[in-house]
Amino acid sequence: MLADVQFDIRDQAVVAKVTGEVDLSNASQICDAIGEATPNTALGVVLDLSPVDYLDSAGIHLIYRLRENLRARGQKLLLVIPLDSPVQDSLRLAGVTQHLAIAPSADEALADFAPARAEADAAKTPPEDSDRDTPQGEPAV
Amino acid sequence: MLPPAAPFLAPADQLRILSGLSDPALSELGLEELLDEVLERVQQALEVDTVAILLYDPEAGQLLARAAKGIEEEVEQGVQLPLGKGFAGRIAAERVAIAIADVDHADILNPILREKGICSLLGLPLVVEGNLIGVLHVGSLVPREFGERDLAVLQVAAARVAPGIERARLYSALEREHRVAVMLQRSLLPRELADFVGVGVAARYLPARDGVGGDWYDVIELPHGLVGIAIGDVVGHGIRAAALMGQVRFALHAYALEGHPPGRTLELVDRYVQTMREHPMATAAYAVFDTETGSLRLATAGHVPPIVVGPTRACVLDVAPAAPLGAFPYGSCPEHELTLASGEMIVMYTDGLVERRGTALAQGIEDLLAMVSNAGSAEQVCRSAMGGLVPPEGLDDDVAMLVLHILPVPTRLRLHLAADPRTLADVRRVIRRWLRERSADADDINEVTLAVGEACANAVEHAYSPGPAWFELDATESDGEVTIQVRDTGRWREARGENRGRGLRIIDAAMSDVELTPTSTGTEIVMRRRLRTS
Repeated sequence: MLADVQFDIRDQAVVAKVTGEVDLSNASQICDAIGEATPNTALGVVLDLSPVDYLDSAGIHLIYRLRENLRARGQKLLLVIPLDSPVQDSLRLAGVTQHLAIAPSADEALADFAPARAEADAAKTPPEDSDRDTPQGEPAV
Repeated sequence: MLPPAAPFLAPADQLRILSGLSDPALSELGLEELLDEVLERVQQALEVDTVAILLYDPEAGQLLARAAKGIEEEVEQGVQLPLGKGFAGRIAAERVAIAIADVDHADILNPILREKGICSLLGLPLVVEGNLIGVLHVGSLVPREFGERDLAVLQVAAARVAPGIERARLYSALEREHRVAVMLQRSLLPRELADFVGVGVAARYLPARDGVGGDWYDVIELPHGLVGIAIGDVVGHGIRAAALMGQVRFALHAYALEGHPPGRTLELVDRYVQTMREHPMATAAYAVFDTETGSLRLATAGHVPPIVVGPTRACVLDVAPAAPLGAFPYGSCPEHELTLASGEMIVMYTDGLVERRGTALAQGIEDLLAMVSNAGSAEQVCRSAMGGLVPPEGLDDDVAMLVLHILPVPTRLRLHLAADPRTLADVRRVIRRWLRERSADADDINEVTLAVGEACANAVEHAYSPGPAWFELDATESDGEVTIQVRDTGRWREARGENRGRGLRIIDAAMSDVELTPTSTGTEIVMRRRLRTS
């Protein structure tokens, strides 16, 4: 087995931790699996690539495709890649580092979701005068 | 009283019919056919209405109707008779022949004999080497006084047939167990060995003379360019050992996939074996080989030490084995680390291969070492060991062996590869090893590997031909500069959209000089880079 993905839900975001090597043989399967594991209610995905020791252009394509798919659902993608990771070399050689949102750790990536989380929490709290909208005596439907 | 029924057949004819019972052909028959044949001939020779064979089940202490003519109901209804009681029970218990002229007045337990209207009976015990194996009896629907001559004929039949019954019974039981065990063993061993570029693997499993045992081997593809190789032995024979072997092998495979190092993997398998109700005795050796660096981490639990053979050495690894699996609670399993050079092989085997009666185990291992030290491939090691150590009649114990060969990486690396995405990981391992042996540093290795990976991925992706497609890689080094050529049979696909074309960008950035040339059959990319260490 070349790679594995482990999922976790933290602070309303999906944390997908990929281990091993990502190349043409498994990139699109990994992308699909992450899409499947992300509920519509999640704020977004933290793609943790810290334990990845090889990532080629198929893997970079995965990142872009996942970002597009999530954007269409109003969700965000954040990457976790430590500075000394070989994945940084791939991104640098492909010239894409500056186009991607990269955090050095999963905690820092999750912190980026804080404003979105506050917004989502506010939307969930019902307005105080909500029950006055229903006219007295009429059964709520 | 009716006169005794005289036999219609002359004694000579009786004997001719019976002599057929010693036909060599009969010994080829399975138990069912043999019994059927015997009953037929006895019925003809004695001209009786019924013939039955009851087999003795020593565990139940009962006679079980096994085959019958004229009273087939006996078998269909599964008639069981206790020893010592009734006609057949007395014959078996007292081991004497009994003749009853008038059944109505006798002590008959079996209602079928009465319902059938049997008038007279003659029966005798079937004995082989002093052991009772059953009862053979004949009956007549008309009153008949069975005489000395009838008894003599029946005795001849019994004497001829009893060993055959015993042999057939043992044979069919053994054969059934053997068939099931072999099938089980086969289904529990890896169907085919994983194929790795840069590494050669060969394995053997040989059942013991008398059937399968609990030996096994496994090859496990792990992430990060690691290959796990395992071998083991669950003590015992037959179906039980084979089934336990399967459990132990699968447990190790699963723990190995979790990425545990060899020592911890064996410790976890040990904990698993501790929980097995069967309390099996088992040994195992597990090693993880790094295809890039050549490093091998090895742990053994009560298992015979692996050997290493190669162009410059042939030795038994000096590993202190931990206790066998399941032997002590919370046993620990130390790890040993060594490096295998290009061209070297590690040979794992089970004790069945090296254990000889009257010879020390250490001598057996030395013999194995001598036998395989000149072999040039994993397959040759297996062939030499099996050919040299397994006598034609087979061994008392089953044998498993597994060989991993670190294929030498030539100075000029030329690979002919299947255009399959799964090949890419293998190519990376080989390129990394090749670069390492050219004294490339870590940055060189990472970046060149990435560029080669991209070039190969493109060849794989664009191999258009239906059916198996191939591509070629050719790597050379001269004065500190590596030149790598990848040639495919497809067309280099133009970059499409923003997300494509990154592969080529990576190649351009990683290598100092890149030429992309369409050829008559496909595309050729040549890339160069000066190694920093040079």
